[in-house]
Amino acid sequence: MTQSFPFPRRMPVRITFGLGMLLLGIFGFVPAVGVLVASFTDLRGIPGLPIDFVGIQNYVDFFSPAKWADSANALKNTIIFAVASTVVQIVLALGIAVLLNRSIKGRAFYRAVVFMPTILGVTVTGLIWSLIFNVSGGPAASVLNLFGKHSAFFGDPKLALALVILVQVWMVIGISVIIFLSGLQAVPEELEEAAEIDGASSWQRFRNVTVPLLAPSITANVLLGIVNALQSYQLIYVLSGPNNRSTQVLSLLVYVQGFGGASGTTLSQSQGYAAAVSMVQFVLVAIVSLIALAILRRREAKL
Amino acid sequence: MATTKLRGSTLTRRLFTGLAAAAAIGVLAACSSATPQSSDGKPSGKLQMLVSSSDATDAGFRAINAAFEKQYPDVDVVFSTVSNDNYPATKSSRLTAGNLDLFVVKGMMETPSYAKDAATDDARLAQAGGLVDLTHESFLAKYTSSLLDAQAIGGKQYSVPTGVSYYTGVFYNKKIFADNGLKVPTTWSEFTAVVDALKAKGITPFGVGGKDSWPAGLPMLASVASLYPHATDKQQLAKDLWTNQAKLTDPTEVKVLQQTEYVLQNAQQGAAGADYTSIPSGFAGGKFAMTVDGTWDQPTIETAVGGKFDYGYFPFPGSDNAADNALLNGKTELQLAIPSSAKNKTAALAWLKFFSEKKNYETFLAKSGFSSAQPGISTSTFLQSIGEYTKSYEPAWDQIWFANNKAGQDAVFPFDYPALKPLGSKTPEQAAEAAQKAWSAAG
Repeated sequence: MTQSFPFPRRMPVRITFGLGMLLLGIFGFVPAVGVLVASFTDLRGIPGLPIDFVGIQNYVDFFSPAKWADSANALKNTIIFAVASTVVQIVLALGIAVLLNRSIKGRAFYRAVVFMPTILGVTVTGLIWSLIFNVSGGPAASVLNLFGKHSAFFGDPKLALALVILVQVWMVIGISVIIFLSGLQAVPEELEEAAEIDGASSWQRFRNVTVPLLAPSITANVLLGIVNALQSYQLIYVLSGPNNRSTQVLSLLVYVQGFGGASGTTLSQSQGYAAAVSMVQFVLVAIVSLIALAILRRREAKL
Repeated sequence: MATTKLRGSTLTRRLFTGLAAAAAIGVLAACSSATPQSSDGKPSGKLQMLVSSSDATDAGFRAINAAFEKQYPDVDVVFSTVSNDNYPATKSSRLTAGNLDLFVVKGMMETPSYAKDAATDDARLAQAGGLVDLTHESFLAKYTSSLLDAQAIGGKQYSVPTGVSYYTGVFYNKKIFADNGLKVPTTWSEFTAVVDALKAKGITPFGVGGKDSWPAGLPMLASVASLYPHATDKQQLAKDLWTNQAKLTDPTEVKVLQQTEYVLQNAQQGAAGADYTSIPSGFAGGKFAMTVDGTWDQPTIETAVGGKFDYGYFPFPGSDNAADNALLNGKTELQLAIPSSAKNKTAALAWLKFFSEKKNYETFLAKSGFSSAQPGISTSTFLQSIGEYTKSYEPAWDQIWFANNKAGQDAVFPFDYPALKPLGSKTPEQAAEAAQKAWSAAG
């Protein structure tokens, strides 16, 4: 019994696991159910106001012609943001991980540098890049000025989303690199050597030996990247503000509707509507994640 | 063996777990501890105050708070100031937590019958009994009655107006104007002639902080002020739009967007990505000759300019009839209210009474840059200089317009300035079309 159950008694385990489940239930499951219930009401941001049950009206509103331009815009931006940031992040992270897996001088320092943006947090990251892309005298503007060019950066509707994706990748790439590094260190050297003896080039060894063995790391990174990107709004909020249409993603729409109002307007905080949007987002995240998981698992199984 | 080792440290771990749990409970309990309350008599305890921030008004409130604490040493004013964009969320969470005694309410105005479902959150809060009724408080009698009438909900008063701001005007650099032989324009054609003259001399006409979006909406409000010069004109437009008697694609409505675009197109490079807070320093540095801004920003501009040159403020001349451009439009600023859930109503009422006293109110106005909401109060030299434009109070468009929560973002203002180039990618006509589509679809 001790071999298969490495604890002295079952009761403490049950209690600690039970407490964990209780915390998860209270702070995870109950709020999730609460959001679902709220999505069928006209809940507002101010306490003390009457709350009415409105059925599926909030969902109807989301897909209604009046709101569809906003909803479609947010959906489009969300998908572009999630796909682009995940793909760029994974490709770059893999390249960096391969480089940092080699025995180069100062490897530990470079690894620390790559991981550093991850610990800075959204606000500091946002501040740094706001300063870099400051239109009046920021470093990026100064470089453009050298070529006689100028840009509004986060204020340019054609450029803003791309810049936000760049910053998102910069901020989270460290985690992907760490995951890939751990995967690379698990690749047996004998396989590489055997491939080399068989005459495989560096690229062929990487393509046919390393990448297949990194499949679990790729799965983890893709899922983390997609879920993170689909739920992320804080960075966009800090960089380009809550009401910039060109960077408004679903999660930002939830924030704006639920908590933001809009400066200079009489708009109410519609937390019931925001809850409905977040349920749509939940379904989107679930579908995309499940499809990605299925594809990646099938690929892992083939390998 | 692991099992034996685990058993050996069980007592220690249980003790540790117990202590950790007790500490966690202690921390949580401390977090939720109640604010000390004052008795019915002398104000005492903590006074939790929340306002939406600007440098000038924050300085004004801090000066009042310091004087108040000096007069009432038993009161500790806990002053929180939050940016406009974050204010609704902060207000909501603080009200929910029940740790607010005094806070800024917005949109305190009676909802017209045609827009009955569009009442503002704070007006709803007042109607639901969530705000303390101040109607019979003696200090309210000090304030201008027309301002009080405008903020009454169901005939009752729930807030104290801290001042009045005007924001349909243009700050201009008098030195640049004088050096180029330019006069203050009073009509749209004179205005465009001034802009052309500045551009011909290589001077950027306008500074706009477009990154924050709302500052780019000030030219829109200014244009509406000229094209619909009286409150009755604006009220009629609002009613006509709500009842679908008027369209956002009608010529005058499109003209509002055309004039807004004109300002945006003649703004500094990168205006769409510029912070609002960078504009005063840009104006002071002579990077542009004018900026459409509110009088609330005058203390900041004054500090930035630092006496290097003279500047002035004139109403945005959107009409070719000078009489239509004669007055600035404004709003009642930062209305302070006491939530019914306040734990320290005594101190909150004492603060409002203290704030309303002439000497203290003058101190606040001097720092905040607001025009007075009380009659017979001396105002700054700058406010005296724009006296001819403020001799009669005209509310701005956003004080009359009720947004439809059912409509899309294109129809919020409802003049869709965020869609205009360079903020967005549309022409005035396309933006008007999009706004009308979003508005019509909402029914």
